[in-house]
Amino acid sequence: MAFKNISLAFARCLSSLQPRFRLNWELPHANLRVVVDGLAGALVIGVVAATPVAAQDKPNSVGLGVFTFTSGPAAAYGMPGKNAADLVIDEINAKGGIGGVPVTATFVDEAQGAQGVIAEYRRLAGDTKNQVMVAALSSATCLALAPIAEQLEVPTVGWNCDTHQLLMDGKSKYVFRPNGNTVPEFIAYAIYLLDRKPDVKTVAIINPDYAFGHDAAKIFTAALKALKPDIEIVAELYPKLGSPNYQTEISRLTTARPDVVFSNLWGADLENFVRQATPRGLFTSSQVVLALGETVLQRVPLPDGVIVGVLGDGWWMSPDAEANPETVKFAEAYKSRFGEYPVFPSIKMANALIYVKAAYDAAMQKNGGKWPTRAELAAAMKGSKVATLTGITQTRADNDGLVDQIVGVTVKTSAQPFPVIGDMVRYKGDSLMPQAGQDPLAWISTLKPEFAKSLPKPGSYKIGER
Amino acid sequence: MSNAIIPLLLDSLASAALIFFAAVGLTLVFSVLRVLNVAHGSLYSIGGYAAASACLFIASQQLNPYLSFAALLLSAVFVAAIFGPLIERSLVRWTYGKSEAVQILITFGLFLILEDLQRLIFGVQSLYEDAPMRLLGTSSIGGVVYLNYQILLVGMAVLVVVGLRLLINHTRLGRLFTAVVTDREMAQSIGIDTNRIFILAFSLGVFLAALGGALSTPTSGIAPGLGADTMVLAFAVAAIGGLGQIEGAAVASLIVGLARVLAIYLAPSLDAVAPYAAMLVVLLIRPYGLFGSVTARRI
Repeated sequence: MAFKNISLAFARCLSSLQPRFRLNWELPHANLRVVVDGLAGALVIGVVAATPVAAQDKPNSVGLGVFTFTSGPAAAYGMPGKNAADLVIDEINAKGGIGGVPVTATFVDEAQGAQGVIAEYRRLAGDTKNQVMVAALSSATCLALAPIAEQLEVPTVGWNCDTHQLLMDGKSKYVFRPNGNTVPEFIAYAIYLLDRKPDVKTVAIINPDYAFGHDAAKIFTAALKALKPDIEIVAELYPKLGSPNYQTEISRLTTARPDVVFSNLWGADLENFVRQATPRGLFTSSQVVLALGETVLQRVPLPDGVIVGVLGDGWWMSPDAEANPETVKFAEAYKSRFGEYPVFPSIKMANALIYVKAAYDAAMQKNGGKWPTRAELAAAMKGSKVATLTGITQTRADNDGLVDQIVGVTVKTSAQPFPVIGDMVRYKGDSLMPQAGQDPLAWISTLKPEFAKSLPKPGSYKIGER
Repeated sequence: MSNAIIPLLLDSLASAALIFFAAVGLTLVFSVLRVLNVAHGSLYSIGGYAAASACLFIASQQLNPYLSFAALLLSAVFVAAIFGPLIERSLVRWTYGKSEAVQILITFGLFLILEDLQRLIFGVQSLYEDAPMRLLGTSSIGGVVYLNYQILLVGMAVLVVVGLRLLINHTRLGRLFTAVVTDREMAQSIGIDTNRIFILAFSLGVFLAALGGALSTPTSGIAPGLGADTMVLAFAVAAIGGLGQIEGAAVASLIVGLARVLAIYLAPSLDAVAPYAAMLVVLLIRPYGLFGSVTARRI
């Protein structure tokens, strides 16, 4: 035990020496970082290999490192994820845990930045109790953690991780994403928009100024141009993530007079944008598409007819969700504990934890009921097909997930005091994904209008019709 | 693009008004106390939280919604009355005459404490109450719908500039401020209670910061992290105008507002850097800012 602690402390010290190498040595920083990370990783792997879990003893508890934003503007998206994790873990434990072992979670705040998150990941990975990491929300965090997960051989489940760049090389062994990604998510919006508004000519985009915003704009634009080549992008705005004020951007969008305004703003940014744009008439002068609009339905009075979706199938009121007693129970329990119904980040987190539990169950079934190793858990995730609260998540050979995409428009109903999603469509997950290893943008450019015609139409996803 | 000229100018004015409210308190405190208050941004966001809480209370009690305008102002007074004397007496006064590094370290520590305090009290979710914005309605100008509340903010900013100038030039308190700014030791030697002046000046700075936060709340809500962004922008504006120069802060706000709006209209990718590019250009030409000088400082 003492050796383990000393090794871990030494590994951490090595990592902390990185900046000094850059100052004092005349070697490229990147090379040194690889060396130092390698040494630190080797030490942690050595420690892990020498501990009881490698011998497959059943631990006292199953530890999960859960990475999300619990502070800052992004917490508006991250906290629903944490809430769902708390709820699902309590429910798993109430039913006896995983294989009879209770689950405990250690939450890591992604708002501390990449260096802090990486240090926390290494610390948690060094504790053999934590066999799986549920990481992370931000695409930037996921990209930073992926090589470390591979190096330390820790199964890491991206509960959000939207960027299509995460698993593009197809070589990942320990990083899994039981979700969709930016490619199917934003192609779905392009197809839905053109089905609903086929005469659209001009589009303006307002997305956050980082990879998620720029990737989404590229994919959405490429899909629109492929399916309707005469579409013109009349404005592209990328306000800083966390901007409180969008008044100038709203004026700029209004003066461009676009048929459509597309946005994947999220969290507090999205709430601010909607609150500021609504009284200024943007929602009446243009067809607005809010890719993450579902997250604000219960908080902001969105007008009717706004195209919204859930970046996947995680809509708690979808026909599939309402037909699943477990989902109904989850939604009611969430509402009673946290005061509002689960938005799609909550569902994504819940589904990710269901996916982790399924991997444990499958791995133990395969090895005759013994406690699984990290490698056995990763093997159980590969190629798996898991029933979630809102559908099925299928893991491909490249560890990327196939999840259906639900898109619709805001409508008022007598059932809820806030707008809900109506006129829905549910696109099959595999229909909007390129093959593993294929360049997504090159694949999108090959799409033809006939492709869109072959897909289900708005309004086709109703109770009893799937 | 010609149809965008009127909106561009109006947006610049509206943007400048918000920027001015963020910066004027910082520059006032520096002019009198010669302290660069890094916690200024936190006081801005505390003003926002206080105003949002007051407006939410009015809405929850179904009181007359027009009371929310008074709530915006009174919440800033409340924040200034509590935090101004408390911070000045307990922390800031120890930094008088010390190096800038000490001042920045102490106020930065305060900034961190206040940010965490806000998180503890108000949580991590955003707070909104837009009654003042809704009550005033909208106007269509140059083909673009504007919030009348935005126009009100421009008027308020002008009022604050004029009000501060009147206070400094035409009241006894203003003359005392000027005396302390011109020569602190001489002011003390002729019997001016400089401790009292420092408390009043610092509290006025806190009031202006809190007022900025309160006035921004109806349109943009309040969320964790606002304080840091506000602080950075306030520093840029204060540097452009000349540290300690109130009219300088007003002109700098116009420059920064125009730079940001031009960037959004013409080169959106430069939006984030526009205020700092403007600062760089001004400081290259006038290292002490537009209204700053090497020898004499004025309010």
